[in-house]
Amino acid sequence: MTPTVSRKSYALTWLGLLGLTLLTTLLGFIDMGPFNMMAAVGIAAVKAALIAGIFMHALFEGKLVRVVIAAGVMWFLIFVIWTAGDYITRGWLPFPGK
Amino acid sequence: MSPEIAPLALHEQFANPEQQRETASLGMWIFIVSEMMLFGGLFVAYTVYRMYYPQAFTEGSADMDIVLGSVNTAVLICSSFTMALAVHSAQMGSRKLVNIFLLATMAIGCVFLVIKFTEYYKHYLDHKAPGVWFDSAAANPGKVELFFVFYFIMTMLHALHMFVGLGLLTFTLLRNLAGKITAEYYNTIEVTGLYWHFIDIIWVFLYAIFYIPGLHP
Amino acid sequence: MQAATSLVPKNYLTEKQGILSWLFTTDHKRIGILYTGSITAFFFLGGFFALLMRLELLTPETNLVQAETYNKLFTMHGIIMVWFFLIPSIPNTLGNFFIPMAIGAKDLAFPKLNLLSWYVFMLGAGITIYALCRGGVDTGWTFYTPFSTSYSTTYVVAAAIGILVNGFSSIATGLNFIVTIHKMRAPGLTWFRLPIFCWSMYATSMILVLATPVLAITLLMVAVERLAQVGIFDPALGGDPVLFQHMFWFYSHPAVYIMVLPGMAVVSEIIPAFSRKPLFGYKAVAFSSIAIAVLGFFVWGHHMFVAGTSVYSAMTFSLLSYFIAVPSAIKVFNWTATVYGGAVSWDTPMLYAVGFIGLFTIGGMTGLFLAALGLDVHVTDTYFVIAHFHYIMVGGTVMAYLGGVHYWWPKISGKMYPEGIARLSAATVFLGFNLTFFPQFILGYLGMPRRYAAYPPEFHMLNVLSTAGASILAVGYVMPLFYLLWSWKYGPAAGPNPWRATGLEWKTESPPPKHNFEVTPVVTYGAYDYEALKEELQLVS
Repeated sequence: MTPTVSRKSYALTWLGLLGLTLLTTLLGFIDMGPFNMMAAVGIAAVKAALIAGIFMHALFEGKLVRVVIAAGVMWFLIFVIWTAGDYITRGWLPFPGK
Repeated sequence: MSPEIAPLALHEQFANPEQQRETASLGMWIFIVSEMMLFGGLFVAYTVYRMYYPQAFTEGSADMDIVLGSVNTAVLICSSFTMALAVHSAQMGSRKLVNIFLLATMAIGCVFLVIKFTEYYKHYLDHKAPGVWFDSAAANPGKVELFFVFYFIMTMLHALHMFVGLGLLTFTLLRNLAGKITAEYYNTIEVTGLYWHFIDIIWVFLYAIFYIPGLHP
Repeated sequence: MQAATSLVPKNYLTEKQGILSWLFTTDHKRIGILYTGSITAFFFLGGFFALLMRLELLTPETNLVQAETYNKLFTMHGIIMVWFFLIPSIPNTLGNFFIPMAIGAKDLAFPKLNLLSWYVFMLGAGITIYALCRGGVDTGWTFYTPFSTSYSTTYVVAAAIGILVNGFSSIATGLNFIVTIHKMRAPGLTWFRLPIFCWSMYATSMILVLATPVLAITLLMVAVERLAQVGIFDPALGGDPVLFQHMFWFYSHPAVYIMVLPGMAVVSEIIPAFSRKPLFGYKAVAFSSIAIAVLGFFVWGHHMFVAGTSVYSAMTFSLLSYFIAVPSAIKVFNWTATVYGGAVSWDTPMLYAVGFIGLFTIGGMTGLFLAALGLDVHVTDTYFVIAHFHYIMVGGTVMAYLGGVHYWWPKISGKMYPEGIARLSAATVFLGFNLTFFPQFILGYLGMPRRYAAYPPEFHMLNVLSTAGASILAVGYVMPLFYLLWSWKYGPAAGPNPWRATGLEWKTESPPPKHNFEVTPVVTYGAYDYEALKEELQLVS
């Protein structure tokens, strides 16, 4: 059974992940206001994509697996956006409690 | 495909080994999606509170040990690397390499847990353990405590999943020692690998939301 | 019909006998029966609490039970009915039994996981029963904070853990079904040749996998808050009770689709079979099932219109709640179109299915009233809401469940149930149900609040009608217990296809052999191809 991914790809991914971790930490020391959180989570998302794509072979599996992953991400986003949306839009009207 | 492997491995509801492999993999991916929603709920709650109390949450995050956190992140990334190599070795049919990489993954996983529990103990000594011993000099101690509540619940849930992962790795190691993992049938280790990598992904996000915000004053 | 006993082939019931062969089975059919026993017991337990509630509500004053006890009654009724009856009802009984058969498979993808799911279910039930025996819970099945986390003195943590554990059983079931339908279909069985039963069960499974974990984490947070005395939803510490509601309803709204989609799945099988016609608009119904599952995740805020969410959030949820009525309506239109022009036979399953369509439509349309923001402010937390969801859950799902049990009874048991008494039972259920719940729409509109043991005397008459209906309904539910079990032993043998219906499950023996089919079928036609199968179905008696 030929392996799905070569050891070299794994090693490069490993190094990339370590590098991105370092980047996250260094960026954390710079004050970028609201962009700090976005940058940290954004880089985390890139790391997650690398782990999923290479280590978990998601890039090499069939369409069904990628649809399943996309569904999971999408449903989490629905949850966070609709919930945060309530909190963000509070107080937009001049009525108390709205 | 060697005939003496097939009867051992093929379960009766399947027509062929490829169907069984795809089924096992799909099953684990769907389980992973359910775990995304499980942790997702906590991430949503954290997001809401962070939006409401950015100051208090930054203060809470400043009490995190960035060195231990970063080391732990690197540690888990290394364990994912060894896990990927373990699956690779199984696909190549090298039983001995599988053993080595599985043991390495387990050892590195234990290192993570040791560091994690050291951190918990340090938090306890610093009076930052909600429900047990918490006090804070901050202006809004209740809201800083909220940060720590989320920190403890989310990382403890993650640690629980690590323990389960160690169990799965042990089970996979035993199966490999018994000769049940081969280049033709490696579903067990592949599925264990998927689970282990996912736990790593969760940690990557936990690191970003708990350790990074407090780095700048 | 009795062949010589030595020539009777072994079926899944006679294959291996003795209690251990049942407790350690991995056969999806036996597991389906294990679940049926469990959920039937829980149905009657939850129903018993309902009966006590209705007896208390016979008079305006609080005289049968104290208010605190009444709180526990409606809580336990809700918890048991939602999590230990409705959610597992059709999926874990009929779904377990018939999904593999409908797709021509020998079993589910993960048979051992299936058995584990039943044990986990029973563990969750055991923990919840423990909470019940220690005095119950009084928070309502909705566990709203901060009452559940800070003020209630009842066994909230035990109940929360029981439900959480039960949730893992749901997730395992959903996972099993999704993988099975993707990977285990017989040769030639393309997606658009699948019976709608499979499409709707697939949609249900999507919700099971995606929504249930959120319930688990929400209840875990409630338990942690109570046990560790930390304040996640405690306003004193900066927590937000409305956040609990967001998290709870993110699961619990899709959960109601977990409860109704399987009912629709069953009805989609019964209607074509008893109209002897293909299902009208197959693709529309198939895609509607998926649409309901997906859209169901976008509307949870309609349970929170008066909770203090922002107006824009409320408006968004209201609009989306209107949208979700569309796929349900599409299904109702297509079922009706299927019956039109068909050779209809009014056997018991058909009575239940048609009853479902009517009652579900009423329940669904009253949901639209509730989705309108202004109207909701008036009727929320009143008996209007209670009538709305009971029309769907009881008038819909329970009737579909009974219809499915009757429809597939000959296949499961190999025997035919007595048709006359079954029809009488269906009529009793229909009459009792409407007498119980229709007055509640009026009560709610007139302003009677829910979850109150006492009410103003002007509501007395309607409450008496409702209680009278409940007692008739109870009789209607008890009757099948007797005649179905009687028929298992004494009923006439049913043969492979007594209804002359399409569907792979009817091509094998009744009861089926352990591996369902002697030879794996090869499918060359659509799910409801009565035209192509005209010859074949006439031959089978």
